[in-house]
Amino acid sequence: MKSQARLSFYLTLKYLQRGRKWTLVLIFILMSVAFVNLIFISSLFTGIIDGANKQIVDTMTGNIYMTPSDGQDFINNKDNVLKKIADVNGVKSVSARTQVPARLSYKNIRGNWQILAINPENEKQVSIVADKMIEGSFLNVDDENQIVVGRQIAGGDNVEENAFSFKGAKVGEKVTLLFDGMSEEFTIKGIFNTKFVESDKRAFISEKELNKLIPSTKDKASMIAIKTDTKDETKVLDRIKALNLDANIYSWQEATGLMKSVASSFLNVNVLITLVGILITAVTVFIVIYVDIVNKRKQIGILRAIGIKPYIIISSYVILSAVYSVIGVLIGSVVFYFVLVPYFNAHPFSLPICDATLILSKADYISRAEMIMWVSVISGLIPSAIITRTKMLDAISGR
Amino acid sequence: MESIIKVEKLVKIYHLGSSDIKAIDGVSVEVATGEFLMITGRNGSGKSTLMHLMALLDLPNSGEVVIQDQKTCHLSEKKRTDLRLRQLGYIFQEYALITELSVLENVMLPAMMIGTSKEAMERAIFLLDKVDLMNKKNCLPSELSGGEQQRVAIARALVNKPKILFADEPTANLDTISSKSVLEIFKNLNEKDGITIVMVTHEEEELIYASRKIRLSDGRLV
Repeated sequence: MKSQARLSFYLTLKYLQRGRKWTLVLIFILMSVAFVNLIFISSLFTGIIDGANKQIVDTMTGNIYMTPSDGQDFINNKDNVLKKIADVNGVKSVSARTQVPARLSYKNIRGNWQILAINPENEKQVSIVADKMIEGSFLNVDDENQIVVGRQIAGGDNVEENAFSFKGAKVGEKVTLLFDGMSEEFTIKGIFNTKFVESDKRAFISEKELNKLIPSTKDKASMIAIKTDTKDETKVLDRIKALNLDANIYSWQEATGLMKSVASSFLNVNVLITLVGILITAVTVFIVIYVDIVNKRKQIGILRAIGIKPYIIISSYVILSAVYSVIGVLIGSVVFYFVLVPYFNAHPFSLPICDATLILSKADYISRAEMIMWVSVISGLIPSAIITRTKMLDAISGR
Repeated sequence: MESIIKVEKLVKIYHLGSSDIKAIDGVSVEVATGEFLMITGRNGSGKSTLMHLMALLDLPNSGEVVIQDQKTCHLSEKKRTDLRLRQLGYIFQEYALITELSVLENVMLPAMMIGTSKEAMERAIFLLDKVDLMNKKNCLPSELSGGEQQRVAIARALVNKPKILFADEPTANLDTISSKSVLEIFKNLNEKDGITIVMVTHEEEELIYASRKIRLSDGRLV
């Protein structure tokens, strides 16, 4: 029995060693393409969702986000609150932002964009906006009458929301902040492009400048963004909540709003496309292996005629199909991890919400590799089982 | 002498579209142990069909094939396969070698179902020596002439020391010299090793090798 079982492996080895080389190469290529097809779309969607989430955390909310308590306009005693938060275990940095109650005006164009007053040094520790300057530079703590604006405010050719922007404002040009009953002229110090449209519809001035213009905003914040030094934000969130600060405290996921439903939509589309991909892959793999085995019909008939038991013949083709799938998965993995991933890291897929790269979780990789293997095994099992049940002489004569 | 194969009122009908063709029509025949039986007849007379039934490669519509006192027509496919493996050897007209296996591996294959690889190899080497193909043992079938391939098929058929050897027009695709060589091997196997041989042929000159011959016409013995 043991030697009979070994015979299946022996036959598989011989098919691989002495089978038509180009047919084998073609099967391996098709199997690897099928596998890459299965993981590529999924990893791209995961990359988009991950990229969008990262944008939210890095440019808007931080890992943890605080807003004034219900019924309050500000978080009071800002400096004290910042100090308490900074001392919490797991907090990497913290930045307060104060909403400036003003409209922006440039030449004859006026708009209601979000203008935030910040401590630039703190903000640099929490958000990546300062690293995303495409013109000019970011604010300094002592900057007065200086403003940095997002690309969607400055506008220009190829800007997504150019129609609602300043349509090409440049660094060094003047913009006016229109407050209730007064106005103040600012110079554009820099323009940033985070590649996240929502982030790029904001402008920043220094906290010092706002305190000078509206002294009542001193030591007050409209929001506080917190960056954690651990991926496990929940524990840090709990620690901050335990401080009993007079503010609402959210994880970034709770604060994402629209992006949360966008990410959820992407997830749903991903599931749909993955299902279609699985179906196409299953059919492709089935056809490839089915055709390969049907072409060996005569051989199966001969093996049966000389007394080789059907289960050995079937096993040999099932093992062969499994080998096809394993090699396909290996080649596909090499192509994915050593060609596609580095390529997309160097040339990300550019979207209005992020630059997406390919991200594949271990669980997704394993489940898709398993899927290819199961489909292959079934694709090997069905035709070989059918052929071992057809009339031996028909199989040998090719009828 | 006791019979090793007994065929009783065998009927085989092929369905071709709406018409039925009776390929074998109530044939009964006995083959004695150690006999060299040749089945002859014109093309389409049913001689190959009869041998397929006798060699358990096909099932009759009615009748019985008894091999060594064992009725075979109602045996499971598993038992019929086992009988083919251990008791019967079969040589096809077109050699039917496995293209991916070398000469040695082709011969070893049925023996590997029964014994170890080492035993199978020893037996295969012995037989390849007997059919004078030791120098070709590592060749693939595609590298051999027709006569050589048929000798490989003979060696493979003998590897499990069968009691009965079936050969379906084994010389049909061979030249005169190769044909003679194959028939001489059969003669030796029959006379020296006592193997019962059933062979289909339509070459009249080959009938001299037989100890008995039967002729079929339209599926019946004549």
